[in-house]
Amino acid sequence: MGWLEERTGLSPVIKASLHVRVPMAAQTFYFGGIALVLFAVQVVTGTLLTLYYTPTTDHAYDSVLFITSDVEFGWLIRSVHHWGANLMVVFVVFHMLRVFFQAAYKYPRELTWMVGVGLFGLTIFFGFTGYLLPWDQRAYWATTVGTEIAGGVPVVGEFLLLLLRGGPDVSQATLSRFFGIHILVLPLLTGGALVLHLVFVHQLGLAHPRKPKIRKPGSEAEDNVPLRPFWPNYLLDELIAWYILLAAMVVLASLFPVGLEEQADPLVTPDHIKPEWYFLGVYELLKRVPPLIGIMAPVAVIGLIMVWPFLDRSPEVLLRRRKIVALGATVLIVGTIALTYWGYNS
Amino acid sequence: MARSRTERAFRALLVLAVPVGAMLLILAGSTVAQESSPSASPSTTPTAPSPTLSVPQATTEPLPSLVPAPPLPTPLIHPGDRQSNSCFDCHTAVNPTQQTVSAQWQDSVHGRAAIGCADCHGGDPTSDQITVAMSPSNGYIGTPGRAVTVGICGACHSDIERMRASNLPTDQYAKYFASVHGQRLAAAGDTQVAICTDCHGVHDIKPVSDPTSSAYQTNVPALCASCHADADKMAPYGIPTDQYEIYQQSVHGEALLVQRDIRAPSCASCHGSHDAKPPLSTEVVEVCGNCHRATQTLYEQSRHAQLGRVAPKCWTCHGTHDVSQPGQRLFLHADNAPYDCSTCHDPATQQLRLDITQFENEADRRCDTCHHPNSTIYAQVQGIATTLADAQTAYSGAETRIGEAASLGMIVGDAQVALSEAKTSLIQAQAAVHTTKLTVVTEHTKDTIDKADIANGIAQGKIDESTSRRAAMVIVVALILVNCLIFFWIKRRLDRELPAEG
Repeated sequence: MGWLEERTGLSPVIKASLHVRVPMAAQTFYFGGIALVLFAVQVVTGTLLTLYYTPTTDHAYDSVLFITSDVEFGWLIRSVHHWGANLMVVFVVFHMLRVFFQAAYKYPRELTWMVGVGLFGLTIFFGFTGYLLPWDQRAYWATTVGTEIAGGVPVVGEFLLLLLRGGPDVSQATLSRFFGIHILVLPLLTGGALVLHLVFVHQLGLAHPRKPKIRKPGSEAEDNVPLRPFWPNYLLDELIAWYILLAAMVVLASLFPVGLEEQADPLVTPDHIKPEWYFLGVYELLKRVPPLIGIMAPVAVIGLIMVWPFLDRSPEVLLRRRKIVALGATVLIVGTIALTYWGYNS
Repeated sequence: MARSRTERAFRALLVLAVPVGAMLLILAGSTVAQESSPSASPSTTPTAPSPTLSVPQATTEPLPSLVPAPPLPTPLIHPGDRQSNSCFDCHTAVNPTQQTVSAQWQDSVHGRAAIGCADCHGGDPTSDQITVAMSPSNGYIGTPGRAVTVGICGACHSDIERMRASNLPTDQYAKYFASVHGQRLAAAGDTQVAICTDCHGVHDIKPVSDPTSSAYQTNVPALCASCHADADKMAPYGIPTDQYEIYQQSVHGEALLVQRDIRAPSCASCHGSHDAKPPLSTEVVEVCGNCHRATQTLYEQSRHAQLGRVAPKCWTCHGTHDVSQPGQRLFLHADNAPYDCSTCHDPATQQLRLDITQFENEADRRCDTCHHPNSTIYAQVQGIATTLADAQTAYSGAETRIGEAASLGMIVGDAQVALSEAKTSLIQAQAAVHTTKLTVVTEHTKDTIDKADIANGIAQGKIDESTSRRAAMVIVVALILVNCLIFFWIKRRLDRELPAEG
C-alpha cells in the first residue's frame, strides 16, 4: 500500500471519503446505496452483453438470442441486467420518496435533490433506450408507443420524435442512436451526475430525519446529535443490504429469466401494445384525458418535483407537521399507482 | 235446345282444352320462352313458381339447359346526353323518400360513374318539364318489372365497350341465364327468383369489393339466406331452408363469418354467383379442390377416385354445408354400428351406388359405414387411424413439453421450430389419408414422430437446464445468507462500541 500511496497520493482522498460520520438517527433504508450498486451491476453486465450484441436490425435479435441461448451464463448476465434495470427504477423512486418524506431535500441540500431528480430522469431514459435493443416485437412496439408519446409534446413534439427515431419510423437509425445513447451518453452523464451527487452528500452529510440543519457545510456536528462512523459501521449495513439485493436478483434471474418475443416486424402489429411498466401511468393518462394534458401534466409534475426545494422553504422536517405536503404527495403516488394498474390491466 | 247443345259442346271442349292447353304451355315453357324476351312481356306481378321445373340438389349428370341461349338484353333508348340529369334535380325536392333514393343513387357506383336515372327508367333527362321528362314517348317506363330489370342491367353489363372502362366482366348476363334463377325466370316466367337487384341493391349499388356491399364475400351467406332461409319463399321449390344455419356452424362459416377470413368459401364459392346451381355430384371434387388443391391431388391417387361416378366424394366424409374440423372420429364408429350392405350397394343389382342421403347425418360419415369390419380394407383403416393417432400423440407430447419449458421462462424458439416441422409432417400425414394408402400415411407419421421426438428432446433439455439453474440458485442464495450472517455478527460487535443515541 505504501508503494501505491507513494505513486498516487490518494490516501487523503480515500480517508476523507471514508472517515466521515453519519447521524445515528439517519434512516436511509439503504435505497440510495442500493441504487448505486445497481448502477454498478448494470455497467458490468451491460459491458459483458456488449461483447456479443450487434446493434443492427438484421442481427440484433439473433445476437440477443445467441447471448441467451448459447453464450455460457449469457442468460444469467442478460437476466441480471434486465432485473437490475427494473429494480434500479424502483429503488431510485424509493430513494426519492424517502428523501421527500424526511424533508432531506431542504436547505442546504437543494442541489443534491435536483441532481438526484436528474439521475431519476437518466435512469428512466436508460430503461427506455435499453428496451429497444433486443429488437423483438415488444421492444419495437413499446418504443413506437413511447416515442409517439414524446411526439405529442406541444411545439417541440415533432422535433423530439424525429430526434429520437432518426426518421419517421422506428428503424435502424433509431436502434443505432438508442444503442449509442444507452452505452455511451447515458453512462457518462449518469457517472458524472453520480459523482456530483455523492460529493454533495459527502460534503453536506446525511440529513437527520427529525432535526433540520444538523450541520453546516464543512463543519462538524453542531446540534450534539450522536454520530456513527461511515466506515466501517454504516458501510457494513449497506453491504448487508447489497448482499440481500444480490440474493434477490439471483432468485429473480433464476425463476423468471428474461425471455424474447418474436423478432420485430413493423408490418405485424401485436394485439396489445403497451410501453414499459414505468410509462404505463402516462400511457393510461393519455387515454383518459386530452393529449395535451396527458403529456404536459407529467412534464409539469417532474418540473415541480425538480424545483420543489425552492418552493417548500419551511425548515420543518417532521412529517406530522407537513400535512398538506404529505397529502399532496400521497395523492400523486396513489394516482400514479392507480393509473399504472389500470394501464397494466387495460 | 240448340243453344243448350251448343253450350254443352262448348263446355266439353273447354274441359278437354284446359289440360291440353296446360300441357302445351308447360312444353312451350322450354322452347318458346327464349323467343319472348323479358322486355317483350314484362311481368311486374309475381308469378307462381312451376313445380315441374324444380332442380335436384346434387345430380350426377348435368341437366339439359332449359334456356339454350340467354334472351337478348333490352337497353333503354332515351334522348339523354349523359350529362344532364333533370330527374335528380326534381326528385331531391319531392319528398323524403325520393330524397333518400336520390342520395343513395348519388353515392352509388352508378352515381359516381354518371349512369343516370334514365338509363334504367327511360325518359328525357335533359328536360325539366315533367310531361316531357317522364313521357312514355321519350321511353319512360317507370319502375321496371323484375324480368325487365335483368334485361336492362344486362344491356350495359354485357356490353364489352361500356364495361372496358370499369374493367368489369361481361359474362354475368349469360351466366345468369345458365343459373337456376335465370332459367326459371326465362323458361317459366318465375319472377320470384333472384334477379340482379336482389343481391346488388337497387339505387344504392356498391362494388362487391366494398365491405358494406351486400355482395361482399363475408356478406354473401346472409344475402343468400335472406331468401333461402325463408321457409315461405322456398316452400314452392321444395328446397330445405336450414343451410345457412348449418353453414354458420361449419369450419367454413366460422372462418368467414367469425374470423372474417375472406379466403373461406361463401355460398357462391361452391354454387357460383351469377351462374348459381347446386354443384353436381361429379363436380364436388373439383369444387372443393379449387381451394384444397393438394388434397384433391392426393384423392385422385386413391382407390376411391378410381370408382368413377360412384366414387366417394368429399361430401361423403366431410358433408356439404356442415363441414367440420376433421379428426380421428371420421375413421370408425366409436361403437360397432350396424353394417348395412345397401348403404353402398343397390339391393337389386348388387352394383355400387352413391346416395347422398346415406351420409346426411354426420355420425354416418365413417369408413366403416361402407367397409365391413371383417374386410381387409377395414383393417387398413384401423392401421391408418392407429398410426395417425400415434403421430398426434407424439406431437401433442412435444407441444406440452415445450409449454412446460416456456412456463419456466426458458426460450423455446428452437424447440418450436422443430415442432413446426413435426406439424408439417403431421398435416401431410393427415392429408395422405385421402390416398387411402397405409404405406403413404405411415411414411409421414413416422416422420412426424421423429421430428416431434427431436422437439421433445430440445424442450426436455431446457427443463433440465432450468432445474439445474434453480438448484444452483439455492446454493448461491444460501452462501449469500451465510455471508450476511457473518456481516451481521461483525456489525453487532462494532455497534456495541458506539455511544447510545441521545
